[in-house]
Amino acid sequence: MKKALFMLLLAVAMVGMVSAQTINVLFWDDAYPRTLMERIPEFEKATGIKVNFEILQPPQVFTKTSVAVGKDKTDYDLVCVDEGNIPLFASLMLPYDQWAPGKVFKKVDPSTVTPAMLDVAQWDGKLIGLPINGNLYVWMTRKDLIENPKYKAEFKAQYGYDLGVPQTLQQMLDMGTYFYKNGIVSGGFGPFNGGPAGVFGEAIFMWESFGTHFIDYVNGKPKLVVDKAKAVQGMEFYKKLMAISPKGAETMAHVERQAAFCADPKGVFTQFIWPAQIASYEDPDKSLAAGKIVYSAPPSGPAGRFAIRGTWAVNIPLASKNKDAAAEFVYWWASKDIATWLVEKNTVPARTDALTNPKFAASKPWLAAIADSMKYAAARPRFKEVAQVQDIVKKYWIMGITGQMPTADAMQKIMDETQDVLKKAGY
Amino acid sequence: MSSKKLVTDGRPARNKEGKAREHAPFLFLLPALLVVFAVLIFPIIFSLIVSTFDWPLSEGAGARRFVGLGNYIGLTKDPEFWNSLKLQLGFIFVAIPLELLLGFAAALLLNREFFGARLVRSLLLLPVFFLPILSGMTWRFMLQPRYGPLNALLLKLGAPEITWLGNPVTAYIAIIIQDIWRMWPFMFMLLYAGLTAIPQEMIEAAEIDGAGFWKKLRSVIIPLLTPTILTAILLRIIDALRVFSEVYVMTEGGPGTSTMLFSLYTHRQAFGYQKVGMASSMAIFLLILSIVFALTLVRKNMSLDVLEEKAGG
Repeated sequence: MKKALFMLLLAVAMVGMVSAQTINVLFWDDAYPRTLMERIPEFEKATGIKVNFEILQPPQVFTKTSVAVGKDKTDYDLVCVDEGNIPLFASLMLPYDQWAPGKVFKKVDPSTVTPAMLDVAQWDGKLIGLPINGNLYVWMTRKDLIENPKYKAEFKAQYGYDLGVPQTLQQMLDMGTYFYKNGIVSGGFGPFNGGPAGVFGEAIFMWESFGTHFIDYVNGKPKLVVDKAKAVQGMEFYKKLMAISPKGAETMAHVERQAAFCADPKGVFTQFIWPAQIASYEDPDKSLAAGKIVYSAPPSGPAGRFAIRGTWAVNIPLASKNKDAAAEFVYWWASKDIATWLVEKNTVPARTDALTNPKFAASKPWLAAIADSMKYAAARPRFKEVAQVQDIVKKYWIMGITGQMPTADAMQKIMDETQDVLKKAGY
Repeated sequence: MSSKKLVTDGRPARNKEGKAREHAPFLFLLPALLVVFAVLIFPIIFSLIVSTFDWPLSEGAGARRFVGLGNYIGLTKDPEFWNSLKLQLGFIFVAIPLELLLGFAAALLLNREFFGARLVRSLLLLPVFFLPILSGMTWRFMLQPRYGPLNALLLKLGAPEITWLGNPVTAYIAIIIQDIWRMWPFMFMLLYAGLTAIPQEMIEAAEIDGAGFWKKLRSVIIPLLTPTILTAILLRIIDALRVFSEVYVMTEGGPGTSTMLFSLYTHRQAFGYQKVGMASSMAIFLLILSIVFALTLVRKNMSLDVLEEKAGG
């Protein structure tokens, strides 16, 4: 009797220990992880693993990860790392091939991730975690504006070709200029200059579109390879786009861009969007533009079409004591079932089978545009000192495109100071 | 028994008691000293030590490298460091005098009783209770070219839209105005308290001697209020040296680096560039700067005899 009682107590204690397993997860704040949260109780019920999650704005995720994740100890069992910061944290994370097989959910095969995104979590020849969303530049154009018969006729008469979704940067400038002259004040390009990472994205987009890389890896080291003449052309073109963009575009972050596009009754003709934010733009309660947007790949420049990528990877710190439970959570999150549900909720996971699911083809027009953009995915240069370079680019790019400094001088400053950073870092 | 022992063996007992009395104050102070050490002295010493290392934040202590004064030398060669220091000092020397002027004027004006005086004085304090980060966000939206109420007003008046936070000069002015709006009532609060403490007889005596408003202000009120003014300035300088969140949300140091105040640049060094050693050397520099300000002002503040003589004269 006593033995049976002891065994029962032991069993209860063991069940208690198992069910009490808790993982701490650090999410970035946007519609995608917020949507996922709705389903977390299901995961907890299926596995007995409790998920404590913290959700912070992207810059704070970076700061918190820097402070809370170390070689020997960590406050989190799972962290989301923006692709640009992978080099900084790669040495602290467990490579994906060492993640344990799942007990309840099957380990996700990395080949299910869209090829354009898989590169995000690669560092030093290893896959450091798993890319979890499909975020890269996609273009939005206001359907009601480009289909307006009056605008169509006038534009054709003035420019000699049809008004529509801009296929090239020059077309975007022509159409934006036309709308700007027609009182659609915020018509045109909606630059994204709120923070250093945003400006860096815009600059790389223009430089790539005009035919030059900024920094390449040569013999395993980052090297400044920019062609100044082409880079200045890109900057000059962006300066022209600034003239047709909303007032204060040089200070705009996501919130202002969204306000301009969604809340202005006159509307914004065209601008890029991170797919992670589509849910807000297509929410009729939040957006006057909901249901009126045509999605496409970015317009091409003289050197081709490029879509800047900004994807998050989920990573398990080496110091985590709950690696298996954290992996289980990722396998659930990246499963086909959850990824498909996330697409249904207007968010964008990284799984190819969810993004290309035929049942969404008609109701989610942005999915085809995302798939198209992925063909042109371009990454921002990644190395440990990239934050310093981003600040340099931000400072002089803004001075160049707003006319505070000649673009050639601004570009020279960017090159000189970037070279200095690379030299000091020992590259 | 014990008293007898005390009488017969008085000297050693007195010594023991005397020693205990000597030590007692230190024992009573010990908890407070420990707290001060833990929250003030230790962090300073730790920062000082960290400032002598090249210490990449994300790589942890294992990757640190001793560089001696290297970080301090690096700072002197960094134009952004000097730029941030210049902006920080400019911020202090423009914002605080204006806050002082506004606060003093309001304190003089409201240092009288009228219907609703208490309510007016209380309402004036409201901006001080705003969280700095909320104040920054509110100002950011107010200054938005297209949606901000300030530009809407300008447009109605026929003036052009202004990109307040997009221009280096207007952005710097904007962060100063935000600080003045939020903190001038703090000056008002201290100076009003100081004004009410001035003996009414001295003012009346000056009036009997025929002193007008300006004479009373110059010869009686300001001299007697000087310790309060200096205290208010000192508190505001300390506060302004660590201003961060409101500017961070308003401009993030931009456009370019035109509002990259010292505190923002320190944050950038630590959490952007991951250079903890460099950020610590900036923190030590800021500490020295604060001490210089504090010593200068406290020394003046404590010279009460001189002030009283001035007031008497």
